[in-house]
Amino acid sequence: MNELIDFVTVAVVLFAIGIYGLVVKRNAIRMIFSIEIIANAANLNLIAFSRNLHNPQGQMFALFSIAIAAAEVAVGLGIIIIAYRLYKEIDVEEFRSMKG
Amino acid sequence: MVDFFSTPLLVTVVLGSVGLGIPVIDALKKERGSNNKLYSAIAFGALIIAIGIVIFRVLSGAVMPAAAFGPGVLSDDLFGSFFAVALLIVSIMVTAASWDYMKGRANPAAYYSLILLSSIGMVLIGYSTDLVMLFVAWELMSLPTYALAAFSKRDPISNEAAIKYFMFGALSSAILVFAIGLVYGITGTTNIGGAIQGLAHLQKDLIPVGLLAIALFIAGFGFKIGLVPFHMWLPDAYEGAPTTIGALLAAGTKKAGFAAALRVIVLGMFVLHPDWTFTLAVIAIFTMTLGNFAALVQKSVPRILAYSSIAQAGYILIGFALAPYSNQALTGSLFYIINHAVMKSAGFLAAAAVATALAGYSLERYRGLGHRMPITAIALSISLLSLAGVPPLVGFWSKLVVFGAAINSGSIVAWAPYLAIAGLLNSALSLGYYAWIIKKMYMEQGPDMTKVKEPRAIAAVLIFAIIFMVGFGIWYAPVLEFASKAVPHFGNIASVISNGSSSTSHPVKPASVASSNSSSATGVRAIAVVVRSHPR
Repeated sequence: MNELIDFVTVAVVLFAIGIYGLVVKRNAIRMIFSIEIIANAANLNLIAFSRNLHNPQGQMFALFSIAIAAAEVAVGLGIIIIAYRLYKEIDVEEFRSMKG
Repeated sequence: MVDFFSTPLLVTVVLGSVGLGIPVIDALKKERGSNNKLYSAIAFGALIIAIGIVIFRVLSGAVMPAAAFGPGVLSDDLFGSFFAVALLIVSIMVTAASWDYMKGRANPAAYYSLILLSSIGMVLIGYSTDLVMLFVAWELMSLPTYALAAFSKRDPISNEAAIKYFMFGALSSAILVFAIGLVYGITGTTNIGGAIQGLAHLQKDLIPVGLLAIALFIAGFGFKIGLVPFHMWLPDAYEGAPTTIGALLAAGTKKAGFAAALRVIVLGMFVLHPDWTFTLAVIAIFTMTLGNFAALVQKSVPRILAYSSIAQAGYILIGFALAPYSNQALTGSLFYIINHAVMKSAGFLAAAAVATALAGYSLERYRGLGHRMPITAIALSISLLSLAGVPPLVGFWSKLVVFGAAINSGSIVAWAPYLAIAGLLNSALSLGYYAWIIKKMYMEQGPDMTKVKEPRAIAAVLIFAIIFMVGFGIWYAPVLEFASKAVPHFGNIASVISNGSSSTSHPVKPASVASSNSSSATGVRAIAVVVRSHPR
């Protein structure tokens, strides 16, 4: 049980780091990193719980989630590449043409 | 075991094969040039076949009555069918309207393919009874829409919208994985029925974790639905995305978010703590008030519609907040969802027609529109009046049922009637900006009053929407009956919770349930009392 607490603590710390990065950083790629850190915190949680419960469902879900996160990042990087072509910049502070 | 002739799988096969087939046809074609019309027709046909399958299976009685839970990953029930019908109507309207909107734009094959794949995701969300399936369907719905929002590659606004939408969408799905992980950790299963049963029998010291998981679920779904602390990306994304895709986002993905929220949050809330209903009620009031006030000062029509869709999410949430107290509440929410799907897509598609014909979104462009584009103007007016809740249009009946449920629940929870009052005040407020647009269209003269040729396919879609909004406004009974049949029975839920070994529960018995059956029996009894005192 103590082992589980360790993993969950690491996952929560990673989650917090991810949220911090998302709030503070303004570079689009860094923001994607932050989101990935949050997703990986969740995966770590899933695998730790799965081992603790002796139930493979969590590991299966972690694999699903990793694959989906990879697809998500591919789409996101594609959008960011187009943004770079348009603006020569990937700072989200620059993307403020819409107001209201 | 999965039944290969169940509705979700048939719809997946039809839409999936066509959705993957369109890019292949495009690659194999010898002659170059845009084949927009061909792909639009193929996608339209596939969606018509899909909605035909769903409706046929509902009418032939092959579909189970609305079940809250199922043993597998997908359950072929009326709840899912209801959302499938609502969301496929949106996809059909968007695809048909894209016939005109995509004229002369690049890569039509990828565009229609992505719409079809996103539709599969939306449909599967309604049917899924397992958190893993729910998450996969959620991502299948979201990923194509990120690409669709960025579809105008040379347009900086579209790209900006897509970046904002992507960042918040990806964050919401990461939060969802975290929430699902927590639920799995404390209940030992990812089946929604099993998980809720596990949450009902939670050990005392694990209850905060359960509450945290539900809070994360609300945040994750709230981003997509546009509830108030999580709404900041929404107006930019809906305005900047291509207008037809704005319709798909506002009317489609948002409603699918409600389906997911209903499957998870409402049922979880029902088990964990009744206080959650008050939280949702507060969020509902903030959501509708902020949406309406922000819409008052906007200059661009898609942006007004985006803020109005935030406000409408607030009205729908009233029904969710009152779900444990009144059976009418969820019926009202579902009824509102299907009507709002049509009203909102009609509004966005009318804006798309104006954008196609007049190349502009700003409110000034709409001056004199009643003379220049009569069908578009009348469809936009009816959709706006319906959104405001003017009788006898569908929007009025939806509001009537939801607010009526709020007033009826007043005997159980004292704060419920205030929700109805807030909703009514907000509806009156919203008429301010809806009527403003209508006044611009009919009362004012534009600089150029020549008649413009209306895009034919969009006009056809808008005529369908007018018939829906007026026709079902006068003859609302069938839709309302479908909605009330699609609501999961709460008696059923209570029996699943109190009866650990019932046949609907997951075969893997959660480890923590076995050890803590006695600790939370009082909570279960309290819920059973709530349910029993309000028979359907």
